[in-house]
Amino acid sequence: MTEAGRRRLVLLSLLAALPLAMAAAVALGSVRLPLRSVVASLVSAAGLPLLGPPLDAPGAAILWSVRLPRVLLAALVGGGLAVVGSTLQSVFRNPMADSGLLGVGAGAAFGAVLAVRLGWAAHVFLALPLAAFAGAMAAIVLVYVLAHAGGRPSLQGLLLTGIAVSALASAGTSVLLVATEEFRVKTVLFWLAGGLEGRSWTHVQLAALFILAGVALLALLSRPLDVLSLGQDEAASLGLAVHATRLTVFALSALVAGAATAVAGSVPFVGLMAPHALRPRVGPLARHLIPASFLGGAVLVVLADLAARTFSDRLDLPLGSFTAFVGAPYFLLALRASEGRT
Amino acid sequence: MNLSADEILAEILPPERLVGVTRFADERGTSNIVGRVPPSVFRFQKADMERLVALAPDLVVVSEYTDADFLKLVEHSGMRWHRMEGLSSIGGVRQAIADLGRAVGAEEAARRLVERYDATLADLARRLSGARPPRVLYWSGEMTAGGDTSIGALIECAGARNVGREMGVSGVTPPGAERAFVADPDVILVSSWPGIAEAVTGHPLLSRLRAVREGRVVVMPNELLIALSQYTADACWDLASRLHPDRVPARRP
Repeated sequence: MTEAGRRRLVLLSLLAALPLAMAAAVALGSVRLPLRSVVASLVSAAGLPLLGPPLDAPGAAILWSVRLPRVLLAALVGGGLAVVGSTLQSVFRNPMADSGLLGVGAGAAFGAVLAVRLGWAAHVFLALPLAAFAGAMAAIVLVYVLAHAGGRPSLQGLLLTGIAVSALASAGTSVLLVATEEFRVKTVLFWLAGGLEGRSWTHVQLAALFILAGVALLALLSRPLDVLSLGQDEAASLGLAVHATRLTVFALSALVAGAATAVAGSVPFVGLMAPHALRPRVGPLARHLIPASFLGGAVLVVLADLAARTFSDRLDLPLGSFTAFVGAPYFLLALRASEGRT
Repeated sequence: MNLSADEILAEILPPERLVGVTRFADERGTSNIVGRVPPSVFRFQKADMERLVALAPDLVVVSEYTDADFLKLVEHSGMRWHRMEGLSSIGGVRQAIADLGRAVGAEEAARRLVERYDATLADLARRLSGARPPRVLYWSGEMTAGGDTSIGALIECAGARNVGREMGVSGVTPPGAERAFVADPDVILVSSWPGIAEAVTGHPLLSRLRAVREGRVVVMPNELLIALSQYTADACWDLASRLHPDRVPARRP
């Protein structure tokens, strides 16, 4: 099979896998909904004639109030984080890069805990995700400002600044947690562990706005991203405005990852795993890797969330722990493979 | 070094015998003894070993969860310790009061306190005899309480069935909103802490629960809900009066 044929096959497989995964995630859960009835309810809501028995009242409430928004949000979060991972892996020329390098996760956690500490989360609707989003944005602005304080930084300089800002934000989060009343800490615990419990259509709208717009704009930057992945000097010699492009890519990545983290908390390793696994299959070009990563990341998080909800009959586990359970061994295997090659 | 001990000791010991209490003793919404411990008694902000040694108490009362390393330090510093245990049941609290009374040499005061505790519970049991038990689901930050918890014991003591037990929950864990929704409780029990009730009434699915729609969300004073002392009996009474207002008055006559 030719490279183009294999690429097409991978993309088509992912395109088929996403609706299948979403259908399974909508039908399965702590309460099982008959798939036929789910489809009938969805079709009926679209104004088409019923294809079968619709869901009973509790089933319909579960489907429309929590299950469907949750599954859509899982797809958006997974897709967004994977695209950010693929983009940053190109920019940093490091297949292990993801949004954590820009301080997004740590900044969002600081914002979320601050909102809980100050009582905003208890009294203001959406205060927690909005504060998390603001924290993520503040972290990346800080990374950029600090990295550029002594002139234009190298990639390594940016990366190390990101690590330092992440450590700073994590320290701030710890201080806030220690100073927060115990009953408030519980509120933020689930967010920190990563999860989609209790998310509504408003969260979907909020996340979709930033994630879909950000992903679309990053996809439009596919060609400059490919040039940037050649290296800073090579990109400049080919006439690319390296720093302006990098700044744009970072801003869009922060927007997408910030929105994803704001609604789902910490969902680790998705931004690393999906693009890393797909790059050898679809090639390194951004115009192929970005859509493949979006689909792959979406499938990954939809299935991880399904596993988190169905792993135990008695309790829901945090989504973040499931992506970490899969991601950490994957990361170690990838690291071992890359060391074996050098 | 725990609020349960603070609440019991404030009742059975004269103030001059109390060397230190936790900061929680003064916290409204957490403590049932706000204003009852004289300012001269030291307030521990945390498990502060240096301060403990400086105060040199005859006995350090620790909680079920105090770690062994800390206890070893207490012993090395020449102090005795007593651990409060078994507080997740009504009988366990009764035993803990009696044990603590023995440990501090105030058996008689502890016995009187246990008598009061038992009298309240006996009066409550008499009033609730034959009453239909409503199915109550405790909810706090996505968590509910199983049958093996103090809140589960409180629900059952107040003449209700704990939905957490029916769901097979063990400890205080997150069962997921979907399971809670399908369990269809008669009443939702929440604490009075800010935002806890709103998290239920504002939840996309829980807000559609029959109990929520019909206004049966019982908001209980947090200091009673979390009480693991003689106030556990008052908590049972308080919850019972909210669940069975026709049988149990708000205040015990």
